[in-house]
Amino acid sequence: MAIENKLADHRAASAPSRLKTAIQALPKGGMEQRAIDAGEVDAIVDYANSNVIMFPIARRALRHSAIAEDVPAAYGTQVANAVLAALPREDYEQLLSGLESVNLAYGQVLHEEGTAFRYVYFPITCVVCLLTKTEGKRNVMTGMVGHEGMVGMSLVFGADASPVYANVLAAGAAMRMRANRFSNELSRCLALQRELYRYAYFELGQARHTIACMSFSRLEQRVASTLLMISDRSKSQTIFLTQESLADTLHARRVSITQASSSLRSRKLISYSRGAIRIINRKGLEQSSCSCYEKLSNLRTA
Amino acid sequence: MKQRLNKAKASPVNTTTVVVLRLYIAGGAPNSLQAIANLESICAEYLKDGHRLEIVDVLEEPRRAMADGVLVTPSLTKLSPIPVAQVIGNLSDRPRVLHALGLKSHGN
Repeated sequence: MAIENKLADHRAASAPSRLKTAIQALPKGGMEQRAIDAGEVDAIVDYANSNVIMFPIARRALRHSAIAEDVPAAYGTQVANAVLAALPREDYEQLLSGLESVNLAYGQVLHEEGTAFRYVYFPITCVVCLLTKTEGKRNVMTGMVGHEGMVGMSLVFGADASPVYANVLAAGAAMRMRANRFSNELSRCLALQRELYRYAYFELGQARHTIACMSFSRLEQRVASTLLMISDRSKSQTIFLTQESLADTLHARRVSITQASSSLRSRKLISYSRGAIRIINRKGLEQSSCSCYEKLSNLRTA
Repeated sequence: MKQRLNKAKASPVNTTTVVVLRLYIAGGAPNSLQAIANLESICAEYLKDGHRLEIVDVLEEPRRAMADGVLVTPSLTKLSPIPVAQVIGNLSDRPRVLHALGLKSHGN
């Protein structure tokens, strides 16, 4: 066992240098190099060793998708948004021509409160938070959307403008569709209506639990729940979020967030450094979260 | 995303031509999933039944990728009709992919 661990350590240590060597072996200034610079490459074929070297982000994503059982595979290829994946094949194929793949950056605003929708978004690995404006300049999070749902739910109920401010909380991939095309598809497709009504039920429940959570739960519990919710949706144990952003999201003071995070770190549930928070002990963090997290998880899988 | 076309002039694909495509991916890695979704969307809109797509997972078949001269994934190769063309990346730059496939955007 000790030898196996040493070998694993050796492999892990040598992986970055093998990747570096493989990148250097690619044609200088070629389209492969340019695609790597644009972040659009998952792996390099290593001709010297007859194998494939994954980029770290792709390797992590594969590891997490292997344990994410709630993302079904559809039609032989993976459709990583639950709403789209639940559609019958012919309906999904009809939607495909209107769907466009996008990478969303942290902090990107998808909808402003009160403005008309241009697109609806089906998150894949990104996480979007729905914020409601309060008095003054601050916003409070009243919902969070990941691969289980869709951003732009008001359109489902015939409202053209967003009642919330939708902001990307964790960068990642999504599919989007123009709002007018979506409205047409929705009126045509009963399966899409059914899935989105089901999701609307979950989103309503989420908003209710968020209000209850803000009123009765301790901040440390809310921090734990929020980190778990982001982790579930981004399928990653590492969350790229500053404590300041977390404070804004939870409508709390920065110093209070620091205290709550320190407490979780001292119990070895999370670690953090320079804008990255890592979940070390997921079970422990779940025990430290408020009951809303478990109730919402049950609601999501109901 | 970058593309490579050989020097022969690409002719627009007509509706009776079957376009043969091969997409090399690395399992369910993010760019690979995006490449599949983007390519399916393009095929549904522009090629409908007039195409044949083979997806090769290099994690399962690394030797095949090597035999085909693939350096990185995702990587799309148009095998037929000639000229052979290659596009590297997650295929999110639709105009480039359409150009490589010899297709014209509806907007043009």
